[in-house]
Amino acid sequence: MLPADCSRRLVAELRDALDACAERQRQLERNLRVSRRLLRTWEPAETPAPQPTPAPETSGEAPSPESTPSPQDLKELELLTQALEKAVRVRKGISKTGERHKALSLKSGSAAISATTASAPSRASGQASCRVSETKPPRGIQQTVVPARGLPECRLLSVGDRTRMGRGSRATKPGPGPRDQQIPPSAALQAPEAFTLKEKGADVDCWLPQPLWKPCSGLEGGSPQSAASLSTGFPDRILLRLPMAYRKAASRNSRLWAQLSSTQTSDSVDAAATAKTQFLQKMQMTSGGPGSGLSAAAVEAEVGLLRTACSLLRRRMEEVLSADPADCMQEYRCLLTLEGLQAITEQCLHRLQELRAAVAGQQLGPWPVGRRPGASLPCGGGTDPIWSPQLLLYSSTQELQTLEALRLRVAMLDQQIHLEKVLMAELLPLVGTQGPHWLALCRAVHSLLCEGGERFLTVLRDEPAD
Amino acid sequence: MPAHWTEETALKGRGHRSLGRRWRRVSTRSVIGRGPSRDGTGAVIGRWDPAAAARNPRKVSASCMGRRRRRVDRGAAVGALPEAIAALSRTLPAGPSPEIFRRAKFDRPEAAPALWQLLFRVLSPLSANGASAPPAQGEPPSTEAQVRVVKSELHSQGYPRRALAQLPEDGSQGSRELLLALAWLLARGPLLERLLAQTRVRLGDEIPLCECEALASPGPPVPRVEADGPVDIRHLQWLMGKLRFQWRKLITSQQEQCALLGKIHSYTRGCHSDRSLGHLSVAETELLRDAEGGRQLLRRLESENVCLEAALHWRRQELVFWRWMDTVLGTCPPEASQPTFVPRIPEKGAGEWELVARELQALQEELRGAAEPRRAAWEARVGGWGPEWSAVQRASREAVGLELAALQRAWERGGAAAQPHGPCRLVKSDAGASGGPGLRAAQVIEVLRSREACLEAVLCQLQRQCRQELARLAGALPGLIWILPPGR
Repeated sequence: MLPADCSRRLVAELRDALDACAERQRQLERNLRVSRRLLRTWEPAETPAPQPTPAPETSGEAPSPESTPSPQDLKELELLTQALEKAVRVRKGISKTGERHKALSLKSGSAAISATTASAPSRASGQASCRVSETKPPRGIQQTVVPARGLPECRLLSVGDRTRMGRGSRATKPGPGPRDQQIPPSAALQAPEAFTLKEKGADVDCWLPQPLWKPCSGLEGGSPQSAASLSTGFPDRILLRLPMAYRKAASRNSRLWAQLSSTQTSDSVDAAATAKTQFLQKMQMTSGGPGSGLSAAAVEAEVGLLRTACSLLRRRMEEVLSADPADCMQEYRCLLTLEGLQAITEQCLHRLQELRAAVAGQQLGPWPVGRRPGASLPCGGGTDPIWSPQLLLYSSTQELQTLEALRLRVAMLDQQIHLEKVLMAELLPLVGTQGPHWLALCRAVHSLLCEGGERFLTVLRDEPAD
Repeated sequence: MPAHWTEETALKGRGHRSLGRRWRRVSTRSVIGRGPSRDGTGAVIGRWDPAAAARNPRKVSASCMGRRRRRVDRGAAVGALPEAIAALSRTLPAGPSPEIFRRAKFDRPEAAPALWQLLFRVLSPLSANGASAPPAQGEPPSTEAQVRVVKSELHSQGYPRRALAQLPEDGSQGSRELLLALAWLLARGPLLERLLAQTRVRLGDEIPLCECEALASPGPPVPRVEADGPVDIRHLQWLMGKLRFQWRKLITSQQEQCALLGKIHSYTRGCHSDRSLGHLSVAETELLRDAEGGRQLLRRLESENVCLEAALHWRRQELVFWRWMDTVLGTCPPEASQPTFVPRIPEKGAGEWELVARELQALQEELRGAAEPRRAAWEARVGGWGPEWSAVQRASREAVGLELAALQRAWERGGAAAQPHGPCRLVKSDAGASGGPGLRAAQVIEVLRSREACLEAVLCQLQRQCRQELARLAGALPGLIWILPPGR
């Protein structure tokens, strides 16, 4: 058994660490639930990582039977497309809107539906037709026109091109490399799914035909290294347009944050800053509190800085000690560095004692109850805060995973180092005094302190043979 | 009918003579004071309807100006104070009505509960995804608990006034002291910005780049049941194992989350109207998927916009508030400088201190042990070297001095100057597109790697130190063979 106060402190520290971990886990689980739910609609098959078809096709070969529409189907499709085009022409004639390119883009949009639903015509063609007829031309056109950055030529592919290709969603990829051909046939068989959202009272259909999305998921899951080629090989952007009200509010929001973060000053801001300083001074003068204004929080921050300083100094020392000086000059510099480090350490110790004296003199308790001073490290960014988030660009899922894994690893190491120090301070003195279960204690302490609790040493009693 | 600022004159009439004198004294400077002291009726201020001002400050000032068209300047100035306070109220979480502020100036007890609550909200640490304030988990803390939190937080931040600490814990009094405390917090730093950033509506998929955010907000401190009895060391080992397991679980979940995020980002490419983003975030995709959730998000976003506008408005108007606060401070008698706080040094804080002190001392010992013999050897060797050597010596000394000064700056600036800080919105972008704004993941990874290496070195060093210490202790016992576990 460990002494009571040592037990209390160590258990409290470990519990704190566990709580911090559990809190992270809870947040993560929450996010995971949301993401899984969102993806489930896109991947109803519930395959965690969709498998590409084992038999890859080259672009010249005949497509595999299950993903090929029969000639009969193709013919029906052609008729359907013609009918749709006609409908659009009529509509356009009535509404008198639409320039040439918009009509074209709408055509290619409808072609995308027909092309992608080709493999499941019995179910999807009806849906597609009714969906297109529901779409109101001005808005519908707008929807399909929008971003598709860098891929205008796909958007303007003529209907004939598409349906003639007739290879389901594969045909919609420009410049197909061999890898791009590996599309799960099951994916192409899924029916489109509609999303509806309200935009300022008017209904706008925002829909996502599944097959167009699916191939990418197959590629992403199957061969992540193709992400780069993937990101350019996304021909028919199915546009999920965010509602107007939201877009307005969001852009207003980012503008306001930018204004708030800007440090640009004006006369009134300067005057207010002066007034604030004067107010603080006046308050300090009329109050009976500590004169120096050295708050517990400031002391805490400074002790944190000294902790950082200590680890930096130690690192520098080890670098110097492990270096092998080649000549007299370098040797001399090593010596000077060591002496300099010694002087700085002296200063740090002195500062720590000053702080201690100041706290004792002012009788202000260093930390309020319930805060954990050791847990957080001081951070350099605090002085110049950025209130709105900046962008962090990543290029592939793997890169993101590396980033997040490293972030966690750093957090874990921070915690481990803190715990190591606490354990050292409490346990090493105990090992120094030999009690009844000294050997067991020694083993446990060795494991906790030297092996991170993962391994144990073996102790053999070497009794001399009589 | 809402109460009016006429109360100031009413109070004066009811024999608050000192108050009245003070009012007149400051009135030469204060914008607000000018109204009643010059025309004696308090008409302008008296007709101000704070509730209406909170609803629409512009209309108020416009109506004030309309009423006194001849003295437009003064009219605008008179409307400015309630307008500024209304802007402040709209920015603060659960901001009380401007009327509360006015009453607080006269230390009215009815203003106290609202202000205690406001300060509690401002001072208590928010939960990590601060959309919902602390009371989200269970019922809000009792008034006594709130009062205690406010007092202790203000104390720890170095709030100078003693009067606050002496207020009764039932939260029934002290509105003026609370107003002063709020002003003190406002004057010290970017309080409003910090609060707004904490409760910001997160539209993007964000990751904090810096642990100061991830760990600084573990939610309100939970009173825990401490294990009071002594425990066996095996219990500690068990807890350690549990901790290791949790980290492993966390890493797995995090990897999955990254994969899902990557999918959502690539599935929605090109769907965002903002070109620099390109794809939707989880929140935005959800907005499309779930109509009700989308409406809620929109509502939250709009109300945040209102707050932000109010904050900007406040920034432009706050000068008049500070002039007014001067008069509030003027109504308080100066405190006798007599510390009445009971010193409280929690053992945890003191323990932290000890750790740092011990580390520094150990380091100093090591440095002395390394430097002194080298110095002696060096002195013996250079004894007879010529004067040209002294120039070289001086140059070396200067170079080392510069190097060490740089090292010192590294922590004085906060230890991690190169470390990116703040929340980041994740954006999946083509590897080729490198022109746009924003951090690159590769850069951040590099910084993290070097930080990882550095921390690993620290940990290894600590473990080595422990090994040496234990080996020393074990060496004292003969007849035992120590077999170390297979190395890493």
